[in-house]
Amino acid sequence: MRAEVHDTGIALVFGGSRGIGRAAAERLAECGLAVVVAFRSDETAALDAVTSIRQAGGRAEALRADVCDEAAVRGAFRAVAAMEGVLRTVVFSAGVTSDGLLATMSAESWRRVIDTNLTGAFHVSRQSVKAMRKTGGSIVLVSSTSGISGQPGQGNYSASKGGINALTQSLAKEVAGLGIRVNAVAPGFTDTDMLRRMDAKARAEYAALIPLGRVADPREVAFAIEFLAGPQSSYTTGQILAVDGGITA
Amino acid sequence: MSTFTEIHALAEQRSALNARLRSLLVEGLELPIVAGMIEDDQPLFGRGLELDSLDTLEIVSLVEEEFEVYITDDDKSVFGSINKVADYIVANRPRP
Repeated sequence: MRAEVHDTGIALVFGGSRGIGRAAAERLAECGLAVVVAFRSDETAALDAVTSIRQAGGRAEALRADVCDEAAVRGAFRAVAAMEGVLRTVVFSAGVTSDGLLATMSAESWRRVIDTNLTGAFHVSRQSVKAMRKTGGSIVLVSSTSGISGQPGQGNYSASKGGINALTQSLAKEVAGLGIRVNAVAPGFTDTDMLRRMDAKARAEYAALIPLGRVADPREVAFAIEFLAGPQSSYTTGQILAVDGGITA
Repeated sequence: MSTFTEIHALAEQRSALNARLRSLLVEGLELPIVAGMIEDDQPLFGRGLELDSLDTLEIVSLVEEEFEVYITDDDKSVFGSINKVADYIVANRPRP
């Protein structure tokens, strides 16, 4: 589906090589934005996303940047600043899981998830603010329903996503005066690699809990990201938009 | 021991750095003064230039973009004056 062109600027998508991030990158490219697909390690997937976008008539580049490494995040923003066009939106979709019961969770498992999902969001958010301080723009952080209602076995992941929600609300108030909006999407069960790692029985049990009766396609989350990234949400900031088939209703 | 020529060159570099910082502040913060009016030890906040927290963001961003030097709240004293910002840049800028 070809979207209406609503901007000719740049969208920087962290975690844009796979899953929801890739769907967001593709959708924002359909909307007319030049997309920078930032990835940590899977260059093949990132280049595949770029190729897919270009074949569909969009503009895209891949850029390596580990969100845990603030210097790398700064480097990504420097690279974008050197590109033609104004940075309009930044999407933070980098995320990892390392599930386990909290009582036996290793400190390393805790730190790895918090470092990527929450500290990564911190690194990306503050560089976004610096980059967009003169032009305004939109930051969209990918959270999770796990950050709203919690999930057993996901203490680290839930904490990281709950942190993203709080960060979204605080930062939105902090930078509203600069014309920068900050919002989050909270996907529920979405058909990504992360979900496919679950065993089939657990997936079926979770799916049965969803009022709409199925998991989300990543593009359904990308539509929400498109809304929050673009001018149609010009009066929306500091919000956590659940895209979860009704599971948190 | 440094020679007179080396010391003179360092002083010129420092003078140029301070002048660049003054220009950055005036242009970046759109201050209604000419850059030369800011003294090197004049306080930037409070009763000095009376800058605010959004100006802090601007200064941090300008220094980052121009010198690849990163300032956080841990380094608040940096904002004391042009000289203090310049000292911090000299101490922290990436070496070629």
